[in-house]
Amino acid sequence: MIILFVVLPLIVAGILPLVGKVSRRVLPDLLANATLLGLLVYAAVAGRALIAGGPVLQQLSWLGEAVNLRLALDGFSLFMLLAIALVGLAASLFSIDYMEHYGAKANYYALYLVMIAGMNGLVLATDLFSVYVFLEVAAIASYALVAYGLSHDGLEAAFKYLMLSVVGSAFIVAAIAVVFGMTGSLDFAAAAAGLQELNAGPVLAIASAFFLLGFGLKAALVPFHAWLPDAHPSAPAPISAVLSGLLIKVSGVYAMTRIFLNIFGLTPALSTVLMGLGAISMVIAAFLALGQKDMKRMLAYSSISQVGYVVLGIGIGTPLGIAGGLFHLFNHALAKGLLFLTSGSVQQATGTRNLDEMGGLAKRMPVTAATNLVGALSIAGVPPLNGFWSKLLIIVALVQAGHPVFAVIAVLTSVLTLWYYLLMQRKAFFGKLNEKWAAVKEAPFWMTVATVLLALLCVGIGILFSTTVSTWIQPAADVLADGIHAVTGSWGF
Amino acid sequence: MILQTALLIGLVIFSVLALLLKDLLRSAISLALASLLLGIIFFRMNAPYAGVFEISVVAGLITVLFVLTIALTGKGEAIHESRLVNWVFPLVFVAFLVIDALVMKSLLGKVPALASGAESGSFGEVLWKARTIDLVGQIAVILAGVFAVLALFRKRDKND
Repeated sequence: MIILFVVLPLIVAGILPLVGKVSRRVLPDLLANATLLGLLVYAAVAGRALIAGGPVLQQLSWLGEAVNLRLALDGFSLFMLLAIALVGLAASLFSIDYMEHYGAKANYYALYLVMIAGMNGLVLATDLFSVYVFLEVAAIASYALVAYGLSHDGLEAAFKYLMLSVVGSAFIVAAIAVVFGMTGSLDFAAAAAGLQELNAGPVLAIASAFFLLGFGLKAALVPFHAWLPDAHPSAPAPISAVLSGLLIKVSGVYAMTRIFLNIFGLTPALSTVLMGLGAISMVIAAFLALGQKDMKRMLAYSSISQVGYVVLGIGIGTPLGIAGGLFHLFNHALAKGLLFLTSGSVQQATGTRNLDEMGGLAKRMPVTAATNLVGALSIAGVPPLNGFWSKLLIIVALVQAGHPVFAVIAVLTSVLTLWYYLLMQRKAFFGKLNEKWAAVKEAPFWMTVATVLLALLCVGIGILFSTTVSTWIQPAADVLADGIHAVTGSWGF
Repeated sequence: MILQTALLIGLVIFSVLALLLKDLLRSAISLALASLLLGIIFFRMNAPYAGVFEISVVAGLITVLFVLTIALTGKGEAIHESRLVNWVFPLVFVAFLVIDALVMKSLLGKVPALASGAESGSFGEVLWKARTIDLVGQIAVILAGVFAVLALFRKRDKND
C-alpha cells in the first residue's frame, strides 16, 4: 500500500484541526510525530523488501472498479521517501518545543503534513501532470509555512517566494504541455517511448529549456536563486530545515533528474548545461555565504552552493557521478536540516540571528554547539563525516569522466565552505562569552533530541558509508543510470 | 480566421491592460475580459469544458472575489513604481513579439501532429477515471489552501 505515503499524512492533516479543538498541544504533537515515525519505519523497514523484485507499481481499485490511481516505487523514489521521512521527523520533533510560542499548533502540523504528502506524492507519481499537481501541493503549504510567524519579514519573504515559484511552475506546465503535444501522453513510460520514436530535436530543446528554468527556480540554482536567501531564513526554524533540506531537492532536483534522465535521456549537451549550472551555483553561492552576518542567511546561501554539488554530480551522468550526487543530496538533507535546527535553538535562546552579536555560546549551550559543529564539518566535507564521502565520490567521478577542471573547482569550493562554516562556528559558539548571554540556557528537551538524532546520523553514516551507499544510494543511482529504460522497460501498466 | 485573429489580439490587449492599469478595479475587469475572450477561443477550438471552466471560474467567480476584495479594502495610498518599470515592460513585450514572430512559425511546423494517447474518452471518464490521482492532489491543494488561510489570518490566542 504505497499510497499510504500520500494518503496517511493527508488524512491526519484533515483531522488535526478538529483534534486541536480538544487538545491544544499534546494530541497534535503526538499525532503528527507518530504519523511521520510510521512513514519512516514503513520506508526504512518494508520499503527495500517491497522493491526487491523490481519497481512496485500500484493501481488501485475502488468498490471493485479499477481507478487510475497509479503510483510507482523504485530505488530512486524509495531513497527520496526515506530522506523525506527522516528529516521530516527530525524537524517535527523539533517543532514540539519550538512552535510552542507561535500558537495554533494543530494548524501548523496540518500544513506541515500536507507539505510532506505533497513531496511524497511527487516522488511516487508516474505521470508528468501529477508531478505538477503534487509540486503545487507542497509549494502552497510551504508559502503559508514560511509566513507562519506573521512577521513583516516572513510575509514579505513568503510573497517573494510565491511570485518566483509561480513563474517556475508556469514554465514547468508549459514544458509538460509541449511534451504532451509531441507524444500525446503524460505517462512517464509512454512519453519516454514516444520521444524516442519522434525526431523532434528543436522542440525537445525548448521543452528541456522550460524544464530547466522551472526546476532551476524550484531548486534555487544560480541564477534563479534570488528567492531562497529571503524565504529560508524568515521561516520558523523547522520549516527552514525542511525547505532547505528537502523541498528544494524534491521539487527541484528529484523532479528534474527524473525527467531529464529517465524520460528525455541525458544528452551530452544537457549534461554540460547541468554541470555548468551546478558549478556556477556552487562557486557563486559559496562566495555570497562568506559575507553574511545573519546565521540563517549564511546557511541558505550554503544550501544553494551544496545543491550545486548535487546537480554537478548527477550532471556527469556516469553511474559513480550519479551515486555521488544522490549521496550528497542525502547527506546535505541531514546536515543542513541539523544546522537550521541548531540555528533555531540559538535564535530562540538569544533572540538574534546576527553572528556579530553572538559569541561564546558553547559555554551555555554545549550540546547545540557540538551538534552544530558536526553539521558544519559534515557539509564542509571533513572526514570521517558523511559529507566527506559524498564529495569525494563526486570529485573522483569528475576525474574519471575527464573533467579535471570541474574537480579542482569542487575541491576549492569545499575549502571555501570549510572557511565560512568555521567562521560561523567561531563567531557564534567559541571565544569569550558575550555578557548579554550569561542567562542563556541549553535548548529544551525535544529540540535537543532532534538535533542530536541528526548529528548521530551524520557521524554514523560517515562511519558506515559503504553500507549506506550499497543499500540505499546504489539502487537509486542504478535507476537513474539506466536512463529511459528504467521507465519504459518495467513501468508499463 | 479574421474572428480568431481579432479574439487573439483582444486577448493580448486586455491582458496587457490588466498589467498596466493603475486602477485595481479596471485592471480586474480587464483581466475578466481577457479570460472571457480566452474562453471563447477555447469553445472555437473544440474544448467546450475548458471554455466553460475558464468563463465560469476565472471570468466569473475570481473576478467577483477580486472586486469584493477591492471594495472591502478601500483606497490606500497610491503605490509609486520606479520609472524603470514603465519602459522595461513595453521593451520586453516588443522584444517578445519580435522573437515570437521570427521563431514560432518555423518551430510550429516541426511539432508533430498530436498523437491520440491513452487518455481519451468522455470528459467525465477522463476526469474521474483516468486522472484520479490528480483528484487526490486537488484535495490536498484545497486542504493546503484552507489551512493556509486559517494560519495566516489567525488571531493570537491568549493561551498560546
